[in-house]
Amino acid sequence: MPETQAADGPPAAAPTAPTAPAAAESGPGRRRRIAARTRVDFWFDAVLFVGYTLAYSYSFTGIGIHEWLGLGLGVALLLHITLHWDWVIRTTRRLLDPRGHDKLIWLVNLALLVAMTLCVVSGVLISRVALPYFGFSLLAGPFWTRLHDLTAEVTLGLVPVHVALRWRWIVQVGRRVLGARHPR
Amino acid sequence: MKFLRHLAATALVVAVVVVLGLAWNHFAASTLVGSVPSPLQREINHSQPRGRVPVPVPGVIRNGGLNLGLTSMLDPVNLPVLRHTVVIEAGVIAAVVIIDVGRRRARRARRTGPPAPPLSGDDG
Repeated sequence: MPETQAADGPPAAAPTAPTAPAAAESGPGRRRRIAARTRVDFWFDAVLFVGYTLAYSYSFTGIGIHEWLGLGLGVALLLHITLHWDWVIRTTRRLLDPRGHDKLIWLVNLALLVAMTLCVVSGVLISRVALPYFGFSLLAGPFWTRLHDLTAEVTLGLVPVHVALRWRWIVQVGRRVLGARHPR
Repeated sequence: MKFLRHLAATALVVAVVVVLGLAWNHFAASTLVGSVPSPLQREINHSQPRGRVPVPVPGVIRNGGLNLGLTSMLDPVNLPVLRHTVVIEAGVIAAVVIIDVGRRRARRARRTGPPAPPLSGDDG
């Protein structure tokens, strides 16, 4: 989530550094550009989180929404990682540095990437609505059904951790984004 | 251009994970589902009459029509399921935030150091 600011900000900035102070030093145009990217990140991540919560609640959404939402989440996940790829590279390089930060977040994110990818792929393979709609019917065996259940449970544990590890960024940006209509 | 490069890298990582999943299914599926029936057994099971639920035959391309399977959606009766998910997420988030706040406070306290002991006459 917050990795984005660091990606847009100065290369030496810490990944968790908030955008606004650095951006404010670089002039109004720079500030507006970074703020726009931060806003996109905030809302995109919020939609992802709500979408994931709905998709996990299979019995509430029904199989149709569950599968279409899952496919959408798969695409959104790809986009989410792409947008934060700079953070991935930077943090991976720092892993061996004893002073390096974000090791825990890196591990959580890696586990989440694996679990979420396997969840989406196994979901596609056992799809009963979305894939048949496109004319395919794979109906993979019990392994993929079990893997889908297992990875879904793992992601339910990891997604809130992934969100919570950046709670400061969420609070900071949330205040700015949601409170923008009420100037001080 | 940079975005496309990053997208390609992301797709590559995702592809690696997918291949790992396929390899798991191929070489060690029993670790997840117990004993996997052999292809022969599966063939025999397929010949058994199925239940009332119609199951599409794998690989068959269907006309499909416009059925998106959205008829069972968002029934208020099932709201507790959504609430259950939200409660779990909120619980985990709260726990992580509390731990993080406690850890930061402890680190800050360590950095500032313990209060200096009062000087006594013996200390010189």
